[in-house]
Amino acid sequence: MKKKQVSHLPPIKKLNLTRRHFIEATSALVGAGILSSYGLPIYAASNVDEMMKMYNNANIDWQSQKGSSIVLSGLEHPWMSSIEPLLPHFKTLTGIDVQVQKQSESEYVAEVPIKLGAGSPSPDVYMVWSYGQAANAGWLESLDQHFDNSDLFDKNWYDLGDIFSSAKSFPVWNDGQSYVMSITAEAQTMFANQNMLDAIGAAVPTTFDELLSTGKKLKTGDVSGVAMRSKADGSAGTWPCGGFVFSNGGVIIQDGKCMLDSAEAIQAVHYYGTILNEAGPLGVGNYHWYECLNDYMQEVCAIGLDSSNFATDIENPEKSNAAGHTTYGAMVSGPGQQAKPNMWHWMAGINSKSEQKAAAFLFLTWANSKPTCLMSSALGLATTRTSAWESDGFKSAFGSQAATAALTNLQNADGKIMKDCWFHPQSGEILTPFGIAINEVVTGTKSAENAMKEATAKINKAIGA
Amino acid sequence: MKTFFRRLALYIFAIWSFFPLYWLLNTSFKTSKDALARPPTFIFKPILKNYLDVIQNNEVWGYFVDSLIVALGTTFFGLLIGIPAAYVLARFKFKGNADFGFWILSTRMTPPIAMLIPFFIMYLKLGILDTHLGLIIAHVGLNLSIIVWLMRGFYTEIPMEIEEASYVDGSSFFQTFYKIAVPLSLPGISAVGIITFLFSWNEFLFALVLGDSVVRTSPVGLYGFVGYQQIYWGQLSASASLLLIPVLFFVFLFQKPLIKGLTFGSFK
Amino acid sequence: MNQFIKQKNRFILLMLMPATILLVGLTLFPFIVSFILSFTDYSLLRPGQTKFIFLENYIELMKTDDFWIALRVTVVFTIFAVFIQVVLGVIFANLLHHETRNISFLRTIYLLPLAITPIAATFTFRLMFNPSLGVLNYFMKVLGLPPQAWLASPSTALISLIVVDTWQWTPFILLICLGGLASLPNEPFEAAKVDGANSWQVFSKITVPMLYPFIGLALLFRSIDAFKTFDIIYVLTSGGPGVLTRTLNLYAFKHGIEFLSMGYAGSIAIVMLIITIVVAQIFLRKNKLLQPKDTFK
Repeated sequence: MKKKQVSHLPPIKKLNLTRRHFIEATSALVGAGILSSYGLPIYAASNVDEMMKMYNNANIDWQSQKGSSIVLSGLEHPWMSSIEPLLPHFKTLTGIDVQVQKQSESEYVAEVPIKLGAGSPSPDVYMVWSYGQAANAGWLESLDQHFDNSDLFDKNWYDLGDIFSSAKSFPVWNDGQSYVMSITAEAQTMFANQNMLDAIGAAVPTTFDELLSTGKKLKTGDVSGVAMRSKADGSAGTWPCGGFVFSNGGVIIQDGKCMLDSAEAIQAVHYYGTILNEAGPLGVGNYHWYECLNDYMQEVCAIGLDSSNFATDIENPEKSNAAGHTTYGAMVSGPGQQAKPNMWHWMAGINSKSEQKAAAFLFLTWANSKPTCLMSSALGLATTRTSAWESDGFKSAFGSQAATAALTNLQNADGKIMKDCWFHPQSGEILTPFGIAINEVVTGTKSAENAMKEATAKINKAIGA
Repeated sequence: MKTFFRRLALYIFAIWSFFPLYWLLNTSFKTSKDALARPPTFIFKPILKNYLDVIQNNEVWGYFVDSLIVALGTTFFGLLIGIPAAYVLARFKFKGNADFGFWILSTRMTPPIAMLIPFFIMYLKLGILDTHLGLIIAHVGLNLSIIVWLMRGFYTEIPMEIEEASYVDGSSFFQTFYKIAVPLSLPGISAVGIITFLFSWNEFLFALVLGDSVVRTSPVGLYGFVGYQQIYWGQLSASASLLLIPVLFFVFLFQKPLIKGLTFGSFK
Repeated sequence: MNQFIKQKNRFILLMLMPATILLVGLTLFPFIVSFILSFTDYSLLRPGQTKFIFLENYIELMKTDDFWIALRVTVVFTIFAVFIQVVLGVIFANLLHHETRNISFLRTIYLLPLAITPIAATFTFRLMFNPSLGVLNYFMKVLGLPPQAWLASPSTALISLIVVDTWQWTPFILLICLGGLASLPNEPFEAAKVDGANSWQVFSKITVPMLYPFIGLALLFRSIDAFKTFDIIYVLTSGGPGVLTRTLNLYAFKHGIEFLSMGYAGSIAIVMLIITIVVAQIFLRKNKLLQPKDTFK
């Protein structure tokens, strides 16, 4: 039986960690490792000891699960591509072999429920896209007892204070236990092509109205002013438009009831639709990430409003013409309202039927530990740790201004209203009608009022409100 | 004159068939910036990097090998099991002939979505999950309906005289079948063989659910190039283009009987 | 005589057995499970709490607008797509059959849409249809025509999908017809030539009628498959704009995989099955394709 090697598609990014980065990052870390790219990562034997020191400081029996093997399953995502090069190091540290299964998001979201629904013990660790679903379906192992296990977890070394508060509060389920760990942090951020703004002498917009008027001025026959997701799917426009709703004083779900038919929500969606209609590109109704990001990187669109993670690609000169002259800004606010950008933490959890739970837990805490986050953030990963975000490695990989803007937006975000919707067990039945309705408003098929009222009725019926 | 218009139509259809693939091929020689450039570039500086990346990527070779094993196995076993059944359905009147035939057809009718979990559990319990054999079995099952019905159609249209003559000469049913009927139906076998191979080579859903790390066929593997928030066009287009080569090779081998000149239709 | 009948029956049984065993073993269990589940409220969200609700799923399905809209989209898509594909397939198979030069080359090109990995082709179409960066609107601009929103516009989305499906599946019909044409006897054609028939007469009065069983089969299979179309719609429009391209299979997928309501998704699948069975039965009976024609005595 053929066992697949750790996959590296696309080719692994070069990780240039020098001694200097580490010393600057934290005084406790003195060594550095150099991982080479192309094929399996190898690193100079002389640096292994330095790396090991960082982990051996911990009061954990790293080798307690030696010889076991776990399956890590995730979607094609910066988290997976940043953790994978570090896996051989994990193996040296713990003796645990990690097999990686990576798929595109659509495949992943279809395949995992089938596997877990059928009671499969594999994967052992997996990325969780819908905490509400996974928890309710019983697909996750409670992590509390593992956190209390002093053989596997060293609280002091782990430094919980270093982790973003929302990242810590999100995994707490309504029974008080945690079934996942947050692994990334992203917030709704604006990215604006500074050259195109300068050409018309406009400032970065800060409100809905400014976004609309600036967007209209930027739109010419050749380029569009603003492009945001609005494909008729629960995964497309709901997140950015949700941020618009939040930034207009509205919410999506409150106390288990859908509130999209409130005046604030309707107005926010109306703005979203109007901005895209009047300042957006032709056919924006079918736009998902690919289209939004591609348009922006090819400079046929001036402003975008989406996940801070876009920054890594926008600043990559091999992919983007907009690299080097993009300004990252705060989320825009509704009239008389406070900006409340949307946010997201990707989660990872342990399969409740896994046969390697201790090994899986070791892996998760290793992946989220300070030294690992430092290394993965130097590859551009938006981790959940302040120390990683403030490190030079991260700033040069992600972009210093982008990092600042993203952090600001993260801090302004209201995690609770986001959770109420996206962590609802029936999040799918909330987001799909919402997504379809947004699309209908953007294509001009329905008015915001009608679309939202119909969607709300449908959602409330589905979630039994 | 007639010839000219016929050729014109044929070549226009060829352009229509080829254009998206031309675009894909084009993209495989472009950098990621060029791939999405506006205006779309027809003339550009080609790079070989995408192909080099893909050729040196062991995983893509893995997809190719897995796909080849599964597709060849499916075609072989599908034809082996399906042709006899088709022959009997076409040539023999027996009670339940129509119903049996329709039942085979109906196996293709249910949308698989509802059956994915039971399939997965069944394979898990039988221990054939993530095996080449398991996926071949599934692909044969998925395709048997078309193999049987198409071959049955071909047999129905072939006149029975030669086979009847063979019985008169004392051959058994079985000898008549494989000595006479099968060779007579080679154009049909060729068409059905190609269809089966292509179907299995490109099948996605069951390869996704029933395969995993050991068995990862090219449709599943290539989807991996559809990344988070962006598509790795370079590798996607290069691997898709390269994967055409084995397919075309197989089709080329199998299509001889389809050539007009080899018609078995003239019975004296 | 008895010996002969015994021998015949044994032969029939032997030839049918492998296929039967395989199909029964493979499809019976999953089908029965999903059939039973369609009468329950089985949801992956509430494992172990499944209750029988009998026909409630089906009643709920018939009551909701979403189902009827999806049904209409599916039927329209299927009818138009299959019709165009059959016409194109038959015509070009016939043209190729009469061609004398470069046949292999042309045939290979025609098969390419079936040979290319679907995901690569679909995403290529997504790129080509892209309103701002795609090559289709570039051609429109060059020709002086206004750029279209293609997949994003309510008026052109379904048509664009039908175009993609046609591109992909016409070769299927073509291949079957080529096989059929290659196995047709020569005499009728030679006789017609002697009689001085022109090519249209040959085509309509001899070729098509003789090819009819193959066309019928191709049409049947293509219709069964087109009714279940999923991949291209999922990638290109996700059922949008609005719900204008959301077919029944997509609708079932949403409820089954995204909402995890497997019981409800099962009922959608069963309804699709029933529709397909009824239409197929009518088609086969009308065209006398169910029973064998000449058989051994």
